[in-house]
Amino acid sequence: MSLLLKNISLPLADFTLEVDVEMHRHVTAVFGPSGAGKTSLLDLIAGLRTARSAFIQLDDHTLTDTVKKTSVPTHRRGIGYVPQDLALFPHLSVRRNLLYGCKPGGVNDPSFSFDHVAEVLEIQPLISRGVTELSGGEKQRVALARALLAAPRLLLLDEPLANLDAPLKAKIIPYLARVRDEFQVPMLCVTHDRFEALALADEIVVLVDGKVRQTGPVSEVFTRPASAEVARLVAVETLQPGTIMSVNDGLATVSVNRITLTALAPATASREVFVCIRGEDVVLQRDPATPSSVRNRLPARVVSLHPEGALVRVELDAGFPLFALVTRAACAELALREGEAITALLKAPSIHLVPR
Amino acid sequence: MTAEEWQIVWFTAWVSALSTVIILPFGLALAWVLARRDWPGKSIVETFVTLPLVMPPVATGLILLKLFGRRGALGGFLHDQLHLDVIFTWRAVLLALSVMSMPLLVRAARVAFEEVNPRLEQIARTLGAGGRRVFFTVTLPLAARGVIGGMLLAFARALGEFGATIMVAGNIPGKTSTLSLAIFENVQLGDDPRAFRLLGVSVVLAFAAVWCSEFFLRRKKAT
Amino acid sequence: MNFRLIKTLFVGAALIANARLHAAEVTVFAAASLTDSLKQIAAAYEKQSDDKIVFNFAASSTLARQIEAGGPADIFFSADEAQMNRLEKKGLIDPATRKSRLGNSLVVVVPSDSTLQIKSASDLTNAGIQQIALADPKAVPAGVYAKGWLTRQQLWPAIEPKVVPTENVRAALAAVASGNVELGVVYKTDAAISKNVKVAYEVPRADSPDISYPMALVKDSKQPAAAGKFLSYLSAEEAGQIFTRFGFLLRE
Repeated sequence: MSLLLKNISLPLADFTLEVDVEMHRHVTAVFGPSGAGKTSLLDLIAGLRTARSAFIQLDDHTLTDTVKKTSVPTHRRGIGYVPQDLALFPHLSVRRNLLYGCKPGGVNDPSFSFDHVAEVLEIQPLISRGVTELSGGEKQRVALARALLAAPRLLLLDEPLANLDAPLKAKIIPYLARVRDEFQVPMLCVTHDRFEALALADEIVVLVDGKVRQTGPVSEVFTRPASAEVARLVAVETLQPGTIMSVNDGLATVSVNRITLTALAPATASREVFVCIRGEDVVLQRDPATPSSVRNRLPARVVSLHPEGALVRVELDAGFPLFALVTRAACAELALREGEAITALLKAPSIHLVPR
Repeated sequence: MTAEEWQIVWFTAWVSALSTVIILPFGLALAWVLARRDWPGKSIVETFVTLPLVMPPVATGLILLKLFGRRGALGGFLHDQLHLDVIFTWRAVLLALSVMSMPLLVRAARVAFEEVNPRLEQIARTLGAGGRRVFFTVTLPLAARGVIGGMLLAFARALGEFGATIMVAGNIPGKTSTLSLAIFENVQLGDDPRAFRLLGVSVVLAFAAVWCSEFFLRRKKAT
Repeated sequence: MNFRLIKTLFVGAALIANARLHAAEVTVFAAASLTDSLKQIAAAYEKQSDDKIVFNFAASSTLARQIEAGGPADIFFSADEAQMNRLEKKGLIDPATRKSRLGNSLVVVVPSDSTLQIKSASDLTNAGIQQIALADPKAVPAGVYAKGWLTRQQLWPAIEPKVVPTENVRAALAAVASGNVELGVVYKTDAAISKNVKVAYEVPRADSPDISYPMALVKDSKQPAAAGKFLSYLSAEEAGQIFTRFGFLLRE
């Protein structure tokens, strides 16, 4: 798919949303802090808002062109939308909600059939209920199913996991992954949670105060943020693929490049994960023997040192590339030099495991 | 109650009901536009809609008389082209009741529409529903309580309408005599017993209509 | 400030107040058809008297009802005997002062741009005439007279369905003037007032009921002396001339 958002200019309360991007990947995350204009961007794509200037094209269809003064009305865009508050119709049963977007003649594409969607999202038992009887997670799946049953060309999701607590988030992510895999519908997810973006998306657009700060594949943006601002938002200095070997007592043993780490067990059952470690969570110590609460002590070698203002970015080889952020003073005190051996300490909760 | 009195009651009831039905499409359209759209000069429209509520009814009646009389802008057209007379016929009663009760419907319906979460309407559109479908399947059902309450209020107002009616319809026995006109006439003639009988019916009808209306207009408990 | 000036002003004001105290306000409840003639007569009267005349013009039936309910009338000037009788029966007027001086005649009026031809009473039953304005024939004298005329012609049952009853005879006149009805039956004196109507047919004296305008003093009057004076003036030469000029008939 290709989604072109060119020359977008939309004045908002505190800033102007200005976007000029092309998205080609299957699942794109629009990432940014709250109030960055993300929801407004989704509204523009869905045709629910008009911008001062905009050119929006999905595959070959021009949806909005303010220069030529054309705009396809919302109900003809074929763009599914799952808003943050889900917006299930309270006066209709779950069944009527689901069927609302279905074309009367049925859908041509069998993958969007009622039974298939219901099966993938596991909502068969909910169908005859009323909307108010559903739990948060159930509402989420019904809203998702409703959007899918309209056979959309593009699916917009506004903070799909924001209103859920951690266990529920972990439950819903697989459904979203299933939607991604089973329905071949391109998805655009708005999120302010970097790990959500990592879990779901191929491509990420970082939006801050209405401006696009960086776009690109997720892992690249996360590990090579283009600016300090983006780094503050997304930076995960160490991002490595890993495999969970075992789970015991809420702790997971992860293997990264044959190095074993102890981390908090994620709620998903997925074995293949990304191991994410933020630079500021890495503690460097000369003496490995001093007892402490840390679960992971990794012997490492300093590969390079990069001063970044008051901090120093230390690239280490711990069996896999590991990055630490320490103060210049600390660096001087420890007398860090390239090639030196040092111990890296990682607390188990600092190692984030995100299903791949 | 004599047969003639029952005829007056029946006439008042059905012409009031008909007026409520007639104002429904215009009233709802107006209420929706006021609830969902903004444009320069909107406050002028809002004022015009409210005018019949606050102007002296006879003044409104006078305006209608001028417009719909045989020499008036609209009445002339109706008389010459369609051979239809409005003034001094039951059609004038319908006209007066409709104009006087419409503001009540519009106000109640507008509030009801404003209370429908616009997000629901937007999502319905993303699901492929055009404007009309969104209105009839999402907006109206969710606003139903307020709309019905407004209709009942308009009906009650129509039942009691006097000033504009007497201006445009006169009080022709058997043809345009409504409850309120008949009460007035009987007091003029000195027939108090009859006036009081009609008054009694009038009170009962108004009470029932308003009571039902309050039931619908009462704010829903937060869900 | 000049002390003398103040004293003069004070005395002047007192004199005026005194004069007002002696001047009376006479309230006349009169039939609507007398509006223009009585206003002119009152203007003439006020030139030669300190008293002020205040009017309440309406249908005689309405006025009678108001007097019955205690309305503050000093003089009642009705358009028919029936309403005066109603009040006399209740002892509300002074029978000694009752006098029927004026008469009137009925005419059929049409809007001034109408092409309707009325040659006789039966022309009113034509299909082309859909609405006829009359002062309410149930009680208002002008309507009662008109009904009387048409009943005697045996045309009332055919005409009754077309009738648009109005509050008073001037309202009937206005309905014809507006063009919303094809014709109306009013007094000849009313037809003369409006420029927007013309007389299509004059009801012959022989066909018309006897039209009589009695006037009398109201018993509960607060100004019996002043009211009596005005009543006498109404019976006098000057008033008679004005009435005649407006088209009323003098019965004496």
